[in-house]
Amino acid sequence: MELRLLGTTRQRIRFALVLLVLVALPFVATPFLLDLANQVLLASIGALALMLLTGFAGLISLGTAGLLAAGAYAVGVLVREANAPFWVTLPAAAVLGALLGLIFGLPSLRLRGLYLAISTLGLHFVVIYLGGEYEAREILSTGIMIASPSIGRWSLSSGREWYFALLFFAGLALLISINLQRSRTGRAWRALRERDVVASALGIDVQRFKLMAFMVSATMTAVAGALFAYFRNFVSIDAFSLYLTVQYVAMIIIGGMGSIPGALLGAGFVILFPYAIEALAGLLPARFSNTVFALDYAAFGVVMILFLLLEPAGLIGIWHRLRASLATTSLRLPR
Amino acid sequence: MTDVAANAPLLTVEGLEVAYHRVAIALYGVCLRVMPQTIVVLLGNNGAGKTTTLRAISGFIGLDDASITAGCIRFAGQAIQGEPPHANTRRGIVLVPERDKVFPNLTVAENLAVAVSHRAGTAERQRLEALVFQFFPALARLRSQLAGLLSGGERQMLALGSAIVCKPELLLIDELSLGLAPVVVEDLVRRVSSIRQELGITILLVEQNASVALAVADYGYVLENGRVALEGPAAELRGRGEIQQSYLGQASGEERRSYRALRQRPAERRND
Repeated sequence: MELRLLGTTRQRIRFALVLLVLVALPFVATPFLLDLANQVLLASIGALALMLLTGFAGLISLGTAGLLAAGAYAVGVLVREANAPFWVTLPAAAVLGALLGLIFGLPSLRLRGLYLAISTLGLHFVVIYLGGEYEAREILSTGIMIASPSIGRWSLSSGREWYFALLFFAGLALLISINLQRSRTGRAWRALRERDVVASALGIDVQRFKLMAFMVSATMTAVAGALFAYFRNFVSIDAFSLYLTVQYVAMIIIGGMGSIPGALLGAGFVILFPYAIEALAGLLPARFSNTVFALDYAAFGVVMILFLLLEPAGLIGIWHRLRASLATTSLRLPR
Repeated sequence: MTDVAANAPLLTVEGLEVAYHRVAIALYGVCLRVMPQTIVVLLGNNGAGKTTTLRAISGFIGLDDASITAGCIRFAGQAIQGEPPHANTRRGIVLVPERDKVFPNLTVAENLAVAVSHRAGTAERQRLEALVFQFFPALARLRSQLAGLLSGGERQMLALGSAIVCKPELLLIDELSLGLAPVVVEDLVRRVSSIRQELGITILLVEQNASVALAVADYGYVLENGRVALEGPAAELRGRGEIQQSYLGQASGEERRSYRALRQRPAERRND
């Protein structure tokens, strides 16, 4: 089995090209495009986390928005109460995420499928309730303001700086995901997703690996939530609706269940889709333009249904098919 | 054949009672003794309690919302009832389940790699993996194939292979013959027998196909309605026509008879 990440020369060249594009992007992109790129990078951390849990371990969770909120609130409360710096708040958010993952992973030892999904909704409502209570108690009608993270006099504020910071975190999440996928842990997760009885028969501690999946995923999600708080300079409970959870579930379905590149593609698709619809709607006559908001949601729903019906393997499935058909036609493209 | 009476049994099951959902009783006081390095077969019709017995031993009945209401299970002198499956695997009790026995989304090599061998070091694990490919050469060329694409016989081989990598002391096999062609079953049974010889392990086999199972077993139990209806050395059971008739379906054209019914109507049968 090939275990090296960049084993062949072609892989190295491809990786170098991708890296070059990623590094060059913030120097050529407009501020608007840069903001989009930042949103995609941030979303891909949460999408990777959910992919590990649902795509690999097969554990369905509707707690993503709750965990993002928990991470963001860990930052918000620590900054407001103790004026804590980011190197305290980020680890705190990670620990909180791991803890929540452990607690809300416990039902997975007994529940499956839809029942498990409903039990993880509990996480969402508990976190949102606590956040709302805090906001009400402190009489914060507009949420908590958070200053940009800083070291000495330098602070992370411009879009370009954020781009590199988020690129670093997304890269880290990607590396962790790839390593987990290829390790004993990832194999155990994929095994228990399909056949937890056989997994157990072959000596895999199913309960431990399920809880571990919840903890790893929740930790990554909470850190993404903490980054979100700093990125927006602002935490409000209104930002973490169930619709946000639905978006993350959509990312892994549209991207392609069980695929790490799929999580990234899905994150890009779901984040950019409303903007694309908006741009298209801009081409329509003016009297339609005030219905754009509804159009965005409706089109998103339609796309979800189309993917579930026509391409259950998601964007990554389309890519694999495309590559296979390219390889089999006489028109061979240099890869 | 191994000398059965010589030493202490590896596995003893005494007065085992199992109830599903706390009310539906599946076993009424089953007693088994499995001697080290023997192959013991559990025979019986559908619903006789064979699978329940195996799942009770391996610790899986907790997952089925069933529980042991009476009796005890001892493995190498230790009481093990109520232990979770992975703990039993660590002890050396490995189950090859009835169906859904491989991971269809993993390759053959990954299926073997995913098995946890707490009982074997790295070197021994490699030796066991090599042995698997020696027992089942067909698997070697399917190494990078997804297990979901294997045939029924290949899946059974892979399931046995994964179990072997766990370094079992007691291998529990549920329905080796399920859904497989007779030729494949005979071949598999021969291989199981040679695995026993090579690794010196003990095997408890559940089968509906009595003739195949008794051909390799040392000792057999016949379960009926959750009780042991008959037991004895395999050679002895092979010689008893009523077993053949009950579990081979030789009574063609008639409804299948239970062992007890046959015992009660011997005269009638001769008149057929």
